[in-house]
Amino acid sequence: MTHDNSNNIDVNAIHDMALLDHFIDGIGQKVIILSPSFPFLFIGTIVDVVEDLIELDVETTHFSQLEDRTWFIHIHNIEVFYIERPGEPQIPELKDMT
Amino acid sequence: MIRRYHVVAIPIRIVVNNFGDHNPDGRMYVLKEKEAKVKELVRKNPFTPVELVQPLTIRANEGDVVEILFENQLPFAAGMHFQEADYNVLTSDGANVGLNPSSLAECGEQILYEINATREGIYFFTDLGNVSSTEDGSSIQGLFGTLLVEKRGSWWTDPETGDPLNSGVFADVHNPFLPSFREYAWFFNDEMEVDDLTGNRPINPQTNQDAESFHGVNYRYEPLHNRDRLLEEGVVCPDCDGEEVHHDSWVFGDPATPILRGYRGDPTMIRLIHAGVKETHVFHYHVHQWLRDPSNAGSEIIDSQAISPQSHYNVQPLYGLGSLSGAIGDVIVHCHLYPHFEAGMWGINRIFDTLQDGSQCYPNGVPIAALQPLPDRPCLPRPTKEKPGFPNFIPGKVGCKAPRPPLGIVGGREMTELEKNAAVPNARPGAVFTDSCLGNPVVVEFDVSMIELPIVYNKQGWNDPKGRIYVLDKDLDDVLSGKKEPEPLVLHIPAGSCIRLNFTNRLPHILDGDAFQLVTRTYEVGFHIHFVKFDVLVTDGANVGWNYDSSVLPGETIRYEWFADTELKAFFFHDHLFPISHQQHGVFGAGVIQPRFSQFFDSTTGEETERGTQVTVTHPIIPDYRDFALFVQDFALLFDKNGCPLAPPEFPGSQDDPGVFGVNYKNEPLQFRLGKDCDPAYSFSSFVNGDPVTPILMAYEGDPIRIRLLQGAHEESHSFNVHGLRWKSERPDNDSILLSQQHIGISESFTMEMDIPRAGDYLWAFEDEEDVWNGTWGLIRAFDQEVEDLIPLPDRPLPPPRTKPLPEVTGKPPALANPQSTLPPEASPNAPIRRYDVVAFQTPIVYNSYGDHDPFGIIFALEEDVDDILCGKKNPEPLVLRGNTGDIVEVTLTSRLKFELFPFQDGIHPYPPVKEQAFYPPSLRISLHVSLLDYDVTTSSGDTVGFNPDQTVGPGEKITYRWHVHDAVGTCAMWDVADLRNHRSFGAFGAFIAEPRFTTYLDPLTLEPVKTGTNIVLNNPLLGGNSREFVIIMHDGVRLVDKQGQLIVDPIDGILGVQDDLEDLVDTYDNGSRGFNYRTERLINRFREHPVLSDLFSSKVFGDPATPVFEAYAGEAVTIRLTMPSERRRAHTFHLHGHVWKFDPRDIDSRMDSYVGHMVPGAAEDLLLIGGAGGIFNFPGDYMYRSGNIRWDIEQGMWGIMRVHDKDQPHLPRL
Repeated sequence: MTHDNSNNIDVNAIHDMALLDHFIDGIGQKVIILSPSFPFLFIGTIVDVVEDLIELDVETTHFSQLEDRTWFIHIHNIEVFYIERPGEPQIPELKDMT
Repeated sequence: MIRRYHVVAIPIRIVVNNFGDHNPDGRMYVLKEKEAKVKELVRKNPFTPVELVQPLTIRANEGDVVEILFENQLPFAAGMHFQEADYNVLTSDGANVGLNPSSLAECGEQILYEINATREGIYFFTDLGNVSSTEDGSSIQGLFGTLLVEKRGSWWTDPETGDPLNSGVFADVHNPFLPSFREYAWFFNDEMEVDDLTGNRPINPQTNQDAESFHGVNYRYEPLHNRDRLLEEGVVCPDCDGEEVHHDSWVFGDPATPILRGYRGDPTMIRLIHAGVKETHVFHYHVHQWLRDPSNAGSEIIDSQAISPQSHYNVQPLYGLGSLSGAIGDVIVHCHLYPHFEAGMWGINRIFDTLQDGSQCYPNGVPIAALQPLPDRPCLPRPTKEKPGFPNFIPGKVGCKAPRPPLGIVGGREMTELEKNAAVPNARPGAVFTDSCLGNPVVVEFDVSMIELPIVYNKQGWNDPKGRIYVLDKDLDDVLSGKKEPEPLVLHIPAGSCIRLNFTNRLPHILDGDAFQLVTRTYEVGFHIHFVKFDVLVTDGANVGWNYDSSVLPGETIRYEWFADTELKAFFFHDHLFPISHQQHGVFGAGVIQPRFSQFFDSTTGEETERGTQVTVTHPIIPDYRDFALFVQDFALLFDKNGCPLAPPEFPGSQDDPGVFGVNYKNEPLQFRLGKDCDPAYSFSSFVNGDPVTPILMAYEGDPIRIRLLQGAHEESHSFNVHGLRWKSERPDNDSILLSQQHIGISESFTMEMDIPRAGDYLWAFEDEEDVWNGTWGLIRAFDQEVEDLIPLPDRPLPPPRTKPLPEVTGKPPALANPQSTLPPEASPNAPIRRYDVVAFQTPIVYNSYGDHDPFGIIFALEEDVDDILCGKKNPEPLVLRGNTGDIVEVTLTSRLKFELFPFQDGIHPYPPVKEQAFYPPSLRISLHVSLLDYDVTTSSGDTVGFNPDQTVGPGEKITYRWHVHDAVGTCAMWDVADLRNHRSFGAFGAFIAEPRFTTYLDPLTLEPVKTGTNIVLNNPLLGGNSREFVIIMHDGVRLVDKQGQLIVDPIDGILGVQDDLEDLVDTYDNGSRGFNYRTERLINRFREHPVLSDLFSSKVFGDPATPVFEAYAGEAVTIRLTMPSERRRAHTFHLHGHVWKFDPRDIDSRMDSYVGHMVPGAAEDLLLIGGAGGIFNFPGDYMYRSGNIRWDIEQGMWGIMRVHDKDQPHLPRL
């Protein structure tokens, strides 16, 4: 049996686009992202979405040495995320012991 | 490519240090081209170490075929057996096993071995022509070496000259696509013969008794007793005591043991090999950490690694030499078992920061040999007068103790000009030459002191009058006044912290003498740490090489700084100046690097805290958990309440296993827990005896917990078991296997993370016979309703208010459990049920054809097999039960034990012995405990523990345990817990195999279904059809008699040849016979019949051994299920010739091994043979499986055969 691909919709493209739209909609908001690669955790504010990269003003990662700087995170490297929006649950405040 | 070596085995005099200690009867492998030179150098230097006398280390690349022409010049047949290698077992096994032709070479003859170097790694080789454990043997006298297989395309050069290298323990290895690295082969060897300069056994000048036996590295050792003599004679440092300067090059110059030289940041590989014969050592390497399984990025990070005889590991330090912070200086590498450390089992990793071209000298004038930089590393500065580099900026005086570090001591000195030139820009106390804390992280600070105080270990008054502990300064008053119970100091620190410690020495200058120890002037003490990053020159808490002495005198305070770069396990801390003298008094503790952003609370009060062996940890993102720390101790030098020493040594100062055992400065010996009825079955019951004084780890049902397992003191292996719970072997790895048992040696650290599924009391125990007998056990207690002294975890549902009263001590045994009343926590209600009827009864067990037997065997068997066993139709084998994933397994246990069939009815069990022998009559009750499976601990754990109901059965009683096979976890150990003294070593053990779903079990001969058996065929339609399953149960501590009824006192009765000093050699836990599956093929029986050492494994001479001969056809899928349910503390290695398997069978990234180390009670392993029977090349022939312990397992019968056929056998259908 043959299959006609001419009318196929690229599901992956739709998926990526929806994700990007969601992040674009979240510009200026606080986000928590878990990634499978080092340094695994980011908490910060979404500055911009550049092509398929999220530009993030990172205030917290796993390692303090990598904080307070801008990170670009490819959307395919995001395993888990949550964008904090007004009225929704807040991302926990992470504080080093003082 | 084909790579060829001509290797000769020669007798050689081995001089083991600069004091002239030597082995006149050494044996070694050497390359033919170096033979004449070595012999000539040794002849000319009879009392000086000769560099070329070293374990033979040759190299090849992955994919090479290595042809070894082996020539034997020893006075007995010898060979080369290669571990890890793929080879034709009929020609290249280096042994004479079963029906194979011998691949040994007789004296004066040659043989050609062909070795396939398929994979990168350590191909350790030894001789199997002469496995005597005496000084007439081969391995014990130095006959071992290694083939190191490098990545394809590699080459190797001499680190000093840069020239190509044919052999040598040190090499620089290069590859066109990979970073060059320093390669150091590090062979532990022990128990070798050593004479002093006068030809006599070395004497310890402190005790005036024989010194400890040889414990060294690469045929060298640097014992304290030699260096002590120079102090006593006033040659050097007359104001020193001894131990504190043992490793001090300022006083003595460099040791004879290996110095691993490199530059800061150099990539490095230590090829760690245990070539010794007896002890399981712990390799510890200061400053550095590495992955336990280098091929698996999800593996645990470790910095101490226990290693059993004939095992080997790659130690690849993360970040290269100097670790993350780039430390420079002398980094000690040693066996952490203190008596071995004292005996000389240590060396140094020397990290330079300036180029060494051969023009420089050490402070004592000895030239520094040139060291080629690795070609792909940045250029190093040359030494200058202003910046001479390590060690020449340190203001020490040769012949005197190392100087104290600048800035560190409160009120101490500033830096000299040279030190200022060498220091980092922001030099500060504890971080002068290395910036240990990267950037500017959060700082946590502790004030800690070391104090001496009496510690009472149990209710019966066992006590250490000279306990020595670390304590927070703020707790000093409470601890000294008795308001706060002494416990090992455990600090809790979030990851990413810079840790600053102000450490004050409040010890008396003198450790007083008694039955255990001589008076020792322990006048300085340090705070040495594991895992964290630090400046090794000033913060090591030690006195090593040309470094500073970073300890502190009484009344003074020193400041240290460390960095916790990431979440780690518990990092061990202890003193490094006088640990041999006083660590066993309690000088140990741990810091736990918790996840960043954690907070810690006292689990009882809910107040925030930073210390404690039991705390509650909360975190904004990850689940909250309970954190528990357990420290096991041996060499606990305790007295009873009347002041009598417990298990004292023969003379004070002896390291011959003095004292008893403890956990967190407590113990609960079973001899005090017999109850009114004198029944051992209730020894663990809190109803009968109250709760133990040992730690009870408290949680609510459902709580996540983390157990930090450490060993505080001092020499021995221990086996930690938790009944009813399980954890991942490699915590960061989702593919990890599950465990419910862990071997531990001193300084190792394990984190066991799990949830407690259901309320009840869970037994934790260091569960070899002697440990548990002397009280190394306690409970994990999970409550189902609220209790006053335990806060709930904030992110868990609140426990329901208490409606039932808490159980109370009644003095009476609890009611029998009713396992039918509950389901295992993870079982589904409609799970299929598999039923077994098991009977426990007594029957003689014949262990071999020579008539060695156990007349008092206690075994488990299926009901239908009991008659055949009792009438002698079946010689029993350990019971093996099986179930498939998803099954509920109902095991109905009946006891038919009879009092008159026990050997020691008076309650004194004399052999095999344990320390602190006492009345403990045999129980007629028995139980069946299984590890790893899922069950309700209050009904089906097979033990009567805490306030749980009774799960043992007496004569005529039955209990039906309900076990759930939650996963195909493979081998589970089974044993009786009702009477660990009088039952287990007589045979009351077996195995359970948790198989994949849809598996059926078939007889290998008939292919008909079977219910039990150690040798079966598994059929699983989803997993490639049929495979063979061989169950190998390793066990020791067996009491055998010979056919005349005479007691066999193994290991002594099994030694081949003459052995001196037996009394000193054999520890309590070495006693007893040993074997596989109720069988042993003791070589002494064969030797008496045919006294040719090289024929002892030959079936052509003796027929097949009594131990199982497992048969398969070449290429058939084979899984070996290996377990050790019983019973002694001496760790064994298991090795199967010619085959490899994954270290973690569930993880495709895991390393491949041909051995399993650390086999102690409770161990359970699954060996999925890669390539199937016959290995990757499917070579037919007889493959020996055996212990790796020359002393004392192989002689004593711990070996058998896996027979791989190429032709059809009438009795054995192919799969």
